[in-house]
Amino acid sequence: MKPIMAIAATTVGEAIRRRVLLVILLVGLFFVMAAPGLSVLSARQELTVLKSLVLGVIQLTSAVIAIVLTVYMLPNEIERRTIYTILSKPVLRWQFLVGKYLGAVAALGIMMSLMTVVMLLMFVIQVQVRDFNRLSELVQGPAMFFVQMSLLAAVGIFFSTFVSPLVNFFLTGGIYMMGSLFNPMFETMASNPNMSGFAKNAAWLVNAMLPNFADFNIQNRIINPESVIQNPMVHYMNLTVYGLIYIAVLLIAGILVFDRREV
Amino acid sequence: MKRRKNWLIGLLICFVAQGAMHRGAVYPTWKKYDMPKTTGIAVGLDPGQLLAAMAGFRELVAGILWVKADSFFDSGNYDAVLPLIRLVTWLDPHQLDVYATGMWHIGYNFTDEESRSDRRYLPAAIALGKEGAKQNPNTYEMFFETGWLWYHKIDDQYERAVGYFEESAKRKDMLQARHNLLANAYQRSGQVDKALELYYKLYDEADTRFADDGVFQARQIRDTIENNLDTLIVRMIQRGYFAQERKDGSFETGPYDVNPPFDVGYSVKLTVEEPKVVRFEGTWNVLPVGTRIRVVLKDANFPHSIAGGADWDWGDEIVMDPDANLTFMQDQFYVKNRRFNKKIDMSRDPTIYPFTSDEYIVEYYYNPRSAAAHMQDKFGFNGEGIADSNFLNTEVRPGQRVIFAQMKLTRDQLLRRGKYRDEVPVVMTKNFKQSSTEVRGSEDMIVVPNLRTIEKKPEAKPKAPVLSKPRANPIAG
Repeated sequence: MKPIMAIAATTVGEAIRRRVLLVILLVGLFFVMAAPGLSVLSARQELTVLKSLVLGVIQLTSAVIAIVLTVYMLPNEIERRTIYTILSKPVLRWQFLVGKYLGAVAALGIMMSLMTVVMLLMFVIQVQVRDFNRLSELVQGPAMFFVQMSLLAAVGIFFSTFVSPLVNFFLTGGIYMMGSLFNPMFETMASNPNMSGFAKNAAWLVNAMLPNFADFNIQNRIINPESVIQNPMVHYMNLTVYGLIYIAVLLIAGILVFDRREV
Repeated sequence: MKRRKNWLIGLLICFVAQGAMHRGAVYPTWKKYDMPKTTGIAVGLDPGQLLAAMAGFRELVAGILWVKADSFFDSGNYDAVLPLIRLVTWLDPHQLDVYATGMWHIGYNFTDEESRSDRRYLPAAIALGKEGAKQNPNTYEMFFETGWLWYHKIDDQYERAVGYFEESAKRKDMLQARHNLLANAYQRSGQVDKALELYYKLYDEADTRFADDGVFQARQIRDTIENNLDTLIVRMIQRGYFAQERKDGSFETGPYDVNPPFDVGYSVKLTVEEPKVVRFEGTWNVLPVGTRIRVVLKDANFPHSIAGGADWDWGDEIVMDPDANLTFMQDQFYVKNRRFNKKIDMSRDPTIYPFTSDEYIVEYYYNPRSAAAHMQDKFGFNGEGIADSNFLNTEVRPGQRVIFAQMKLTRDQLLRRGKYRDEVPVVMTKNFKQSSTEVRGSEDMIVVPNLRTIEKKPEAKPKAPVLSKPRANPIAG
């Protein structure tokens, strides 16, 4: 456990020092803070649009950070040859990979927390939302995005074990898009009477295999409080468990690939 | 080798577990609550917006588009708002304000140069409301908004408004004060008993709430309901509603305000003064102000046409661009000193009034259910107190006595073409008499009863026998 934590801590430090990530973060923070400038709509609509914009910006920024952070993770270590000094010590390859992943997730968590705090401050100071329940509802969005982005980071780490950063960028982005899209697509296919049974089964299989990022998009009921859901906490727990299991799948697959890779 | 085998077993277990978790626990909840219920690709999104929407940022794109719609609205570019409303509701079907604002915008804001609504948009407004209600069944708002459109804008077929208001009243989040509107809709749909029942129920609830809370607002709501309840009971008594219900002949002989029915003496003359410019002159023997007689000019084959208008519920499809070949004009005559005289100019709005049909119908329609309360005091809840020698009609709205007249015009007449280039087209009812606007003697004036004058009320006699159908072809010209 100790080597994993040491690698994770180093990764967090590296991530925070990377200028490209800080620039993305600053752009995200700017948009979060600038969002209340759109005070042209009706009181309720203003809040609805504001929440959709702010949560959207946090999600988008986090996705870009998660991808950029992870696609370079292993290739950079290999390119700079720093991986040799690490692996020459009593550190197993799986420990290195898991440490790198945990470091990336921790850095992501720090950046997302910062954006969430700014969002809350913006709602408290500028929009005068002082109700604790409403603020805690708002936090549920970024909390689920964090699980979503941790899963996205796992996808990035998995691909970084065997493809170049540029290819990885598009692969991870593509998987994110497909994972966001496949649920509605599958549902359309399932309800289409003209689809063959084979195609429906194939769609079912792909839907069960792909990481479904759409599941974590719970912001709609935060933006529109009139749309209620039964037992939201149970649903969020299920989502988190699902996310963790899928992260485990990707990390194990990454470990298996990385174990055999010549470095 | 053994360690690798263990990793593989772990991978397999986790993979199966994630699939089971997704299909068993996560996906059903997503399908129930988060699945977009509108399908298909939204034509109109630019590639970037479509990509963002596909990548799970539907709400973000919806928010940006709605801000854009708002700026179009402020600049008066109403046409540009329409596709954005559709896109936003497609992207985020839970944005109630977009549905509600969209309905209002489509239903009310498209007007001609004389501020008459372009009613060809109403089917789209209703379809949008229906979709909003379907997408947001947990909240009362879209049911209420759709009901309001029927109640206020369409102002006819009140049973439709009642249906939506009843649905909205089933939702727990319905604002207390808005329940009163259901009682009003009941009255206008002829279900006066139900209105009374509802007021009693609302009063009991409000009284309990006031006893529990003791706050001013609760008392205010209770007192308002009490006032509405008292007023309704007085009206039911004075308009002979209870006597009618007894069916023992007491209504026919009793001194109720609606007895005897008053002949309104409706007559009208239509003159096409210039191409697409029509003047209406006519009589209405009711002296107090407040009468609004509906006039409709529409294609003879206007879709879903009904007497005095159209049935505006054309289905679930939201078609934002009305058929450019349809003509439908609706306005009202305001009666002053028992006469009306109104010029309607449709020449300045060729897109709203294209006049592409060969034949047109002009309808005049007065429904006591839509009348102001002081008119209803004489005419009754369902027109019991209204009569007309020529145009009383009990068929176009079953169970009601309304005033209804119809005329036909040709395209040549309206556009002053062919032989009408020099000859002014005039169509009038046979009973129309050109006269001055001065009030004649008091013998043919209606005295609208009220609580103070009821004792002094002169015995008005009907000017003409009460007919259930108009006489054969009372329209001349």
